[in-house]
Amino acid sequence: MRLAVALIVCASCSLPEGDYFGQIPDVHDRPRTLRFCNQGEPDYLDPALGNTTNATPILFAMFDGLTLYAPDGSAEPSLATSWDIAPDMRTFTFHLRKEGRFSNGRAIDAYDFAYAFLRLLDPTTASPISDKLEFVKNYDGYTGNTVRKLLHDAGPLRAGAVVELVATNDKTPDTNLRRSTHALELRDLGAPIADAYAHVPAGADVELVELTGGPVSYPSPAGVEWAYVFWDDGDGHYGWVPSADLDVAPNDDATYSIRAMPMRQWPGVQATPEVLAADDAAPHPTVQVKGRDLLRLPELIGMRIPDRYTFVIETPVPIPYVVASTPSQCCRVTPREVVSRWPRRWTDASHIVTSGPMHLKLWLEKDRVELVRSPTFWNQKIVKADEVIVFNMDDQAANTNYYAAGGCDAMASNNIPTSYLPVMNGEKHSYKDFASKPYNGIYFVYLNTEKLTNRHLRRALAYAIDRRPIPRIIHKGYGTSQVTPGTRISDLSDADRATCGVTRDQPGFAMIEAPGVCYVPPPGLDFDPAKAKEELALARQELGADFPKLTYRYNSGSEGHKLIAEYLQQSWQQVLGLDVGLESQEWKTFVKDTTDGQYQMARFGNIGSIADTESDFIVLFHCKAPSNRSRYCSPEFEKVYAEAKQIFDRKARNAKLAEAEKIMLEDAPVIPLYVYTQEHLTKPYVRDLPINFVDQVPLYRAWLDPDWNK
Amino acid sequence: MLRLIVSRLAGGVAVIVAVATLAFFLLHAAPGGPFDAERALPENVRKNVEAHYHLDEPILSQYARYMGDLAHGDFGQSIKRVSTVSEIIRVHFPYSLAIGVSALAIAITFGLLMGVIAAWRRNTWLDYLLMSIALVGISIPSIVLGPLLVAYFSLQLGWLPPARIEGLSSYILPALVLGMIYMGTIARLSRGAMLEVLSQDFVRTARAKGLRERVVLWKHAARLGVVPVVTYLGPATATLISGSFVVEKIFGVPGLGSFFIESITNRDYPLLCGTLVFYVMFLVVLNIAVDIVHGILDPRIRERR
Repeated sequence: MRLAVALIVCASCSLPEGDYFGQIPDVHDRPRTLRFCNQGEPDYLDPALGNTTNATPILFAMFDGLTLYAPDGSAEPSLATSWDIAPDMRTFTFHLRKEGRFSNGRAIDAYDFAYAFLRLLDPTTASPISDKLEFVKNYDGYTGNTVRKLLHDAGPLRAGAVVELVATNDKTPDTNLRRSTHALELRDLGAPIADAYAHVPAGADVELVELTGGPVSYPSPAGVEWAYVFWDDGDGHYGWVPSADLDVAPNDDATYSIRAMPMRQWPGVQATPEVLAADDAAPHPTVQVKGRDLLRLPELIGMRIPDRYTFVIETPVPIPYVVASTPSQCCRVTPREVVSRWPRRWTDASHIVTSGPMHLKLWLEKDRVELVRSPTFWNQKIVKADEVIVFNMDDQAANTNYYAAGGCDAMASNNIPTSYLPVMNGEKHSYKDFASKPYNGIYFVYLNTEKLTNRHLRRALAYAIDRRPIPRIIHKGYGTSQVTPGTRISDLSDADRATCGVTRDQPGFAMIEAPGVCYVPPPGLDFDPAKAKEELALARQELGADFPKLTYRYNSGSEGHKLIAEYLQQSWQQVLGLDVGLESQEWKTFVKDTTDGQYQMARFGNIGSIADTESDFIVLFHCKAPSNRSRYCSPEFEKVYAEAKQIFDRKARNAKLAEAEKIMLEDAPVIPLYVYTQEHLTKPYVRDLPINFVDQVPLYRAWLDPDWNK
Repeated sequence: MLRLIVSRLAGGVAVIVAVATLAFFLLHAAPGGPFDAERALPENVRKNVEAHYHLDEPILSQYARYMGDLAHGDFGQSIKRVSTVSEIIRVHFPYSLAIGVSALAIAITFGLLMGVIAAWRRNTWLDYLLMSIALVGISIPSIVLGPLLVAYFSLQLGWLPPARIEGLSSYILPALVLGMIYMGTIARLSRGAMLEVLSQDFVRTARAKGLRERVVLWKHAARLGVVPVVTYLGPATATLISGSFVVEKIFGVPGLGSFFIESITNRDYPLLCGTLVFYVMFLVVLNIAVDIVHGILDPRIRERR
């Protein structure tokens, strides 16, 4: 027993004292090696598959794109040297540099970006993150496998028309299914049979993915058309074959119902907004055609290649955040010749070919990823690290302890156990290597509008919550009644405040979306016990005997969620006299139930991937949004939201969006609770490892200064 | 003996099939799937992804596919990772095994030592001290003991690494934490058995012969004293090696345990079923080994079967 007591006493006295949390190792022997403690294991190192915050810092170091994340988290030119945005904000032309190289030496050109888009959207990839390209033309049609190019005239439709399959279901035969009466030899484009890397037996099904000679495809080698096909054997293989080899098209005689897509979805179309609107309203009759008349081809995706070093993105409606989205996984180039051979395993260290500042040396799952400087990357001057070692331990305490012992130089955001935070940043003492910064995320309570149909009841529940104690309860964040995050107005620079048109003493948050563009969200229903009681009385009057028994749900496994649940329960009890039950659920069950609408009130958080309120937050309350868990669907909100989407001027657009947010907050499908902050630990000798609002850390830019204290 | 092995193996296969089946259906019955996430997938995307992993097929054909692959020794492809389940087991089980074996070594060595000494010096301060340590070992869960040891030995003294496996010294803390419970149990078991043995006639005879106390204790008495410990070691070894996931998490060890736990929260059906079946196979083999050892030690068991 005595031993246990001794141990406990020592544990409490062993938190590092002094200016810094834990040891500061001597790094003279490795000034160009960054050791980074990640939040956990990355899922995939493939830009078309990897989507966790554990994967992205590694991915974005390995693959170059149109743009890269600048130290401040915005998009800075990389393979695209510059871009033009058409006045109607629907066409984005990127001018590419000629020096881009894959690590195998091959030059990177516009066709590689077309391939990146194709890969993300093609159903054979089964990419869980294809919505990174949600903004391009025919995103829905391509991922849903309904859009087709019409190859021959049919009724009122001309050959070349962009059409969609009508009333498709899983039994619709596949227009792109092909076979060969002899064995197919899959190879690189134009390569001789001797270089084939996969042999498809005669009669086996393959899926036609692309044909040479199209507007976004390579020219046909020696004038002979080649086809890029997918053969689904185990992990699968992709490869090129001369089109003539695909001599069997099993669904040529099958009948399909089609109709023309609205003109705004036709890639390459030139038309004014008025003409597009007129076409939207015009009837699009259904026509019957045969399978031989249709094909799904990459040229149906909203992209164009006017020349080898120009890449154009087309969107059906004006989208202000296309360029801001380009550093994401959507627009990073991957080597087709390698992916084709090993569609899932190409990121194995033995196969991988990269395009970015760093190259993969080793990946030991659940332990570490080792990256080394890539000698083929065109922009060596931004790469300060020769080696980056990313440790991928799941446990926050293990990570923080490892940092304290000098095992890693910096930690990914939000990797510190909540129980450590009062010590890290306490009132009496805070460590110099600890930082808490604004973060693009928010914590809120969804009110399911299909279960809590009474608006007064929802408003009463919202008015009853005092947000001020919440950050103290969980030791981070800032309470707010708005549903779109940003930086606290009091923390903004004077210049940013001028951009936003706000004064220092104004409460709440504002988001700088681009230079000169600011979103100032409207305040929502803030704490007001009198109004809460008033609304509750109205709700009781309207509902009568139907007044529901209330339950609040949260996911288990986090102390913070539980503490907040108890605080809310207590607030509703004290202010409204309501007994609200609490239910905790295992994470997947919780996600499933809330997505299916099987709940009344539930906690949730949302983290935005770019600094743009519209794309990440307001969209959550759009009728058809997949993540609309409150099932909020207000005609008034939809109208203003749709109006905003047609406005090109960003300031006017944001003003309209704020109007939409105001309507939504007044209907209370959500109770915002607090805006996230990100907590970091970084040793004092680390240089050029910035913390930015979107939490995108360019690891390759970091270096260590061994003489930091001299 | 051969008949014993064959019948145990047949029973083992039946157990594995039963566990695989049960695991498969229980997992698929659990709400939520691998692709349910905070940010819900668009419908089209969900369909493509589910089709890729055959999750859109009827449950029975998924089961038939799974059992068919299993019969060929193929555990399948993880839904959330690039690696196959077999690769994950091959790369990461050795970490669990190494920690489990070192924990076992610590538990047996110190447990026996403590038990025998406590019995020899029973009802003295030494006995009380050793049994207190054993009690602490049994009663403090690894989730408490782990951070305590890290705080003291890694952060305070800087002797041992607080996390990750890098060199032999990094095995010490995880093995110690994992071994503590078993060490305590073994100490108490062996003390009880030793007390009984020490009061028996042959011990008195040995002492009467004038043998030195050390020889009496370790050569004559201890051999009988370890019998209950041996019985206990079978199941203990299995739990030690398969049940180290809490310790793996605390110390950031890339062992199989953390994959097992993660596969549950991810609803990664193949990985979860695969690791479960692997653990069951391991248990079955271990149990057969224990039976065989028992058979060798005790002729009565051999004849009864």
